[in-house]
Amino acid sequence: MTLKRTDVTAAMETALSSVLERPVTGLSGQTRLFDDLHLDSTTMLEMLMELEDSLGLEVDPEELEADDFETVDTFTDFAIAQLETRSAA
Amino acid sequence: MTQPLTLHSLLDDAAAVHSDRRVLSTGTDAVSYGELALASRRAAHLLRAYGVRRGDRVVVSSPDAITVAVAVHAASRAGAMFSVLHQDVRDRPLEHVLGDCEPTAIVTDDPGVSTTAQAHGVRVISSRELRHAPEPGPDADGRSTPAPLGVDGACLIYTSGTTSLPKAVVSTHQQMLFAARAIQDCLGYRADDIVFSPLPLSFDYGLYQLFLTFLAGAQLRVGDVAEAGPPLLRALQESEATVLAAVPSVSDRLAWLVRRAKNKPKLRLVTNTGAALSERTIADLREAIPGLSVQLMYGLTECKRATIMPPDGDLLRPGASGRALPGTEVFTVDDDGERLPAGEVGQFVVRGPHVMAGYWRRPELTAERFHRRDGLFPELRTGDYGWMDDDGYLYFSGRRDDLYKERGFRVSATEVEAAARRVEGVSSAAVLPPGPRTGKTAVLAAVTELDGPDVLARMRGLIEDHKIPRRCVPVPALPTNNNGKVDRQALTDLVQDPAPLRKEHAR
Repeated sequence: MTLKRTDVTAAMETALSSVLERPVTGLSGQTRLFDDLHLDSTTMLEMLMELEDSLGLEVDPEELEADDFETVDTFTDFAIAQLETRSAA
Repeated sequence: MTQPLTLHSLLDDAAAVHSDRRVLSTGTDAVSYGELALASRRAAHLLRAYGVRRGDRVVVSSPDAITVAVAVHAASRAGAMFSVLHQDVRDRPLEHVLGDCEPTAIVTDDPGVSTTAQAHGVRVISSRELRHAPEPGPDADGRSTPAPLGVDGACLIYTSGTTSLPKAVVSTHQQMLFAARAIQDCLGYRADDIVFSPLPLSFDYGLYQLFLTFLAGAQLRVGDVAEAGPPLLRALQESEATVLAAVPSVSDRLAWLVRRAKNKPKLRLVTNTGAALSERTIADLREAIPGLSVQLMYGLTECKRATIMPPDGDLLRPGASGRALPGTEVFTVDDDGERLPAGEVGQFVVRGPHVMAGYWRRPELTAERFHRRDGLFPELRTGDYGWMDDDGYLYFSGRRDDLYKERGFRVSATEVEAAARRVEGVSSAAVLPPGPRTGKTAVLAAVTELDGPDVLARMRGLIEDHKIPRRCVPVPALPTNNNGKVDRQALTDLVQDPAPLRKEHAR
């Protein structure tokens, strides 16, 4: 199964709506997670936990880098890389 | 032999011994003890050249921990008082601070903060200018400027209280020195420690990590806002941290991360402040990280720290938050201010050299909280309630109704409600603090035609982002009790059961 970027974005919108308890729609690749969406370190982890459930993402906590959490694009790259590593293994 | 009297002497004493050792790093930058001491000495001349005099205030708003450390010690050397602001403090909240403490200068690179400061006639100094201030010429003033006294103000820490606007706790040099040394006596940071702090330096425990590090001759690695989140584990491993300064949300996150990690961080000590740490989290951390000690603490900015548990003391005395710092005392009083025996619930009162000077330009509030027994002897009435056991261990049971903690920050319900009422279209508002019925985060109830997310979005700029509740529920009216006060029980019922309400979430 290959996941498209749009699938990841849609999953992020669902996860963020649940974590932030407000509707989050229309994310673009350049949307910044901290500055634009006002995520903080707690909500960031909650989003990750939601995505583990919805996308079947299994993150290795030792792989998590601050740069991956900058924008929707950088996070999507990270998520897809993680998913591909897993299906290849 | 005389004890040093000024805050910057902590840095200078350590720099005299470990000049070349790294003292402070971030994800992208690092300085040695010698470099930090020199940079802050030069920056002190720069502050003087910009007209900063003894007793003046210098505000710092920067995401860069090294800039903050240089600014703090430059201000101390210049005899000025520094105030480190959280970066969320902008717009109206920033205007309040600028009007309240009337700083001579502000250190910031933020365009919005700079604009607001300039509009208030405050000199803006960039981090680059501060950190790379030149060596002063031989005739620079400064040599003639007298050093601050131990009893002079060193620091203003803005904190939320029962008033609708934050007020600053003023600390003198000697009060800060006493507090830092007493905390280090209990925590025992070592020269070979690498202390990781994901806490902002605007938060007093984050700021004091600098001073504790200097006292031990250790290294401090300050994490940024992202590194306090999911990348925390990796940041701890890469920095080879041995000590983590934490608040419960950070420890909870770490427990989640380490449970699933193959390689565990090398931490030997986790300290906790801010609120109670769950026993589950402590147990998870101990299980995942062999050899880890945990030290729980209780305190408030008004005395920095009141009590600290011995390492792993929570195993012997579950629920306790520690004993009074050495050379200080904590006890409980009843509503008349009479001292209570051990075991009885009352308000905590703190005595000792760490009780700070008071609130900046708030004489009535200072007299109330920093009460003087017999008109002379200061004792801090904390406003927190609980009891002490026979051995002097403190058991915390709650704060006054108005204050609550969210994401590690102390938030005043009054202040949040005042900001919500400033939103056009909101006629009244009440905050339900986190609790058994509301959940882990506060809920804002607002009488408004707007929908919840709209209210929250319009509160941005009126109050710091981290103080805005995550959830807002529009209600037709705020239920009141016989005294005409908001009936929080009835309001909780109303918010819990949104059936009679209009749409809360447009999900």
